[in-house]
Amino acid sequence: MDPSGVFSVSYRQDRKLVRTKWQVLFLLGFMALLYLLPYYASPRIVAIGNIMLISAIVAVGLQICTGYAGQINLGQAAFMGVGAYTAGLLASKYQMSFLLTIPLAGLSAAGFGFLFGLTAARIKGFYLALTTIAAQFIFHFAVLNLPSSWMGGSNGVTVPAATLFGLKISSTSGLFYLNLVFATIMIAGAFGIVRSRFGRAFVAVRDDDVAAGIMGINVARTKATAFLIGAFYAGVGGALWAYMIRFVGVDQFTLFNSIFFIAMIIVGGMGSITGALIGVFIIRMIQEVIATVGPNIAEAVPFLGGDIVFASMNMFLGGVIALFMILEPRGLMHRWNIIKSSYRIWPFPY
Amino acid sequence: MKFLSKLSIRTLAVAGAVAALSHAPMRAQAEETYNLAMLSDFSGPYADIMPILAGGREAVVDWWNATRGKELGVVLNYKNFETRYDAAQVASLWPGIKSELNPIAVMGLGGPDVAALGERLPEDKIPMFMATAGYGFAWKEDSWIFNPRPTYSHESAGFLSHLRAKLGKDEPVKVVIMASEASPAYVDMAHGLEKYAKENPEMVEIVETIYTEVQPTDLTAQMRRVARAGADAVIIQTNTSIVVAVKRALQANGADIPIMMSSHNGLPASGKAAGGIAQLEGDYESYGMAIAVEGDTAPYGFYQMLASDYDLKAPWNVVTAMGMAQGSYVVTVIEHAIEANGAAGLTGEKVREALFLKPITTEETHGMLPTLQFTPEAPFPLEGLKVNVAQVVDGKIVIDATNVDAPVVNKW
Repeated sequence: MDPSGVFSVSYRQDRKLVRTKWQVLFLLGFMALLYLLPYYASPRIVAIGNIMLISAIVAVGLQICTGYAGQINLGQAAFMGVGAYTAGLLASKYQMSFLLTIPLAGLSAAGFGFLFGLTAARIKGFYLALTTIAAQFIFHFAVLNLPSSWMGGSNGVTVPAATLFGLKISSTSGLFYLNLVFATIMIAGAFGIVRSRFGRAFVAVRDDDVAAGIMGINVARTKATAFLIGAFYAGVGGALWAYMIRFVGVDQFTLFNSIFFIAMIIVGGMGSITGALIGVFIIRMIQEVIATVGPNIAEAVPFLGGDIVFASMNMFLGGVIALFMILEPRGLMHRWNIIKSSYRIWPFPY
Repeated sequence: MKFLSKLSIRTLAVAGAVAALSHAPMRAQAEETYNLAMLSDFSGPYADIMPILAGGREAVVDWWNATRGKELGVVLNYKNFETRYDAAQVASLWPGIKSELNPIAVMGLGGPDVAALGERLPEDKIPMFMATAGYGFAWKEDSWIFNPRPTYSHESAGFLSHLRAKLGKDEPVKVVIMASEASPAYVDMAHGLEKYAKENPEMVEIVETIYTEVQPTDLTAQMRRVARAGADAVIIQTNTSIVVAVKRALQANGADIPIMMSSHNGLPASGKAAGGIAQLEGDYESYGMAIAVEGDTAPYGFYQMLASDYDLKAPWNVVTAMGMAQGSYVVTVIEHAIEANGAAGLTGEKVREALFLKPITTEETHGMLPTLQFTPEAPFPLEGLKVNVAQVVDGKIVIDATNVDAPVVNKW
């Protein structure tokens, strides 16, 4: 709902994402704060920002696949891993520029994701979830068991730093700008995708795939496309991860990571790009808090034992997800929309 | 009265500030202060052993500050950073550690630290010193990450050469390797020993490499094969769960085949998981550092001194020994760097250079480690490698052999 006095008089205006001057100002201010972050924040904060930006790209991809198209996907970390390995191998073996390796990483992950998208045409729900878990294990065992000259095997892949015009992008700030530029492009693209005919088809399939089929939507193709796009995002995120860590190993992309990405979109709100971004922020902050508070608790209450503190911290994270599922299954974004609407129509109740 | 109390507070504050300021330069002239970053896992998978390992390494640094550091005019400050044993967490922590602490050395914990910092440390010119054995995938020249112990495969090969001699065999010892694809590190351990066996068929014959889950429920069928093949030993350098599952399966098959464990899944930890150390009667642990048994030994004497004088609360076990070994070789390297460059202006680069200057003798580490001669060719010493072996005899852990030569294991 728009504020009083703001209304569209054309289709073009109606499709606008940023509708008021305050929204424009807020967005510009937010982007300025983000782009200037390395100048006013500590390196630690910038490094957390790097992890958040990469997670944001991957989570937005998952949001398109699961939140918009309704295709449950527990293999997003594997798709990310495919992207990371592709970028790492292309950069280390063929000295390709990151300008090429990152899109190619996205494409290779998209290809891998598309295979699972094809299965989504025939199965759904619980069975689809199991199939996407298989993606995790196929990725893991393929990397470890294929000849090590192909993907490094248990040795992993050492990735050279990204360079642009001879300048090495390896500092925390440099990586932050690399990640931020790609995150901006990918997130802007995501807003475009979900408002396009593809996005509308995703939502139609998610809400009722039988009805969507009757309306003329190619359901199988739509589901496969959702996986393809979601995996493409994961692949790009994986490539950025490879350039940040500069070492790719199969144990960096586990089922546990996939569950964290699911948690991010649940907490932020399914079916909302902004929700995915909020979810990334909340979950990553919780992880940072756990890393800070956990040891202090273990030290302050030694009889608990470190293993109990660790288990409690993971339970806390699981509890947060469960709490959202019970109290606000549509996530923080839905709650924010309710608050915004109430504020805009105040003092009237509806 | 109010005025007087205000005045006295101000006077005290000014006097305090003057005293502090006047003391500061004197302190700076008297001693140099450097920082050490300690990467820890207090809330991740190693949370239960981390306080013990941290206690060991911190006590050594405290001891060094109070003794050798005092003589040299150097204080080593240290700070623990929580990594949750997660490469992403290490990557997000590192820029903050660098800017906040500007450490001259890092004490690392495990694989995620190596993965996240392997390419950054050479650029930041800060060396990282681990507590564990090395890995084949980290076996690179000009490394900035170092292990005081050779690879796990060197350690198991060393044990097998000892076992062969102990059994008095002329033929190769028949061995089964237990591994898991859950972690690339476990695969790496198996590959290293397989390569050694392939190149030394007169020494070791690999009966089978069994890949299993990290928490297997039943390995009876696999162990039946192992027993039928007449294996002399089962090598398990993965975790305690696999040790327990193998032990139960061997017992179920009535097979008496000894198991060899490493430090992180050693006899005390696996014994606890199996329901008592007596369950592991006849089994071994083997690694390239001191065995944590009580007695009239230099490592135990060092431990007792740290416990009595430096508030080391951790019990004397293999995890404490790992922490003490790590702390010992780090402070020794720093000491060598001070001897070579003077106390002032020490950097991470100078500390790394000092590592190659001269050997770290076993006396300098109080017998926690054998004499180590690092070279730029590998992240661990390539020559003079020794392993120690402990065995459960009559329900007690006893030293079976010390300073066993680890054979040459070529890079895989």
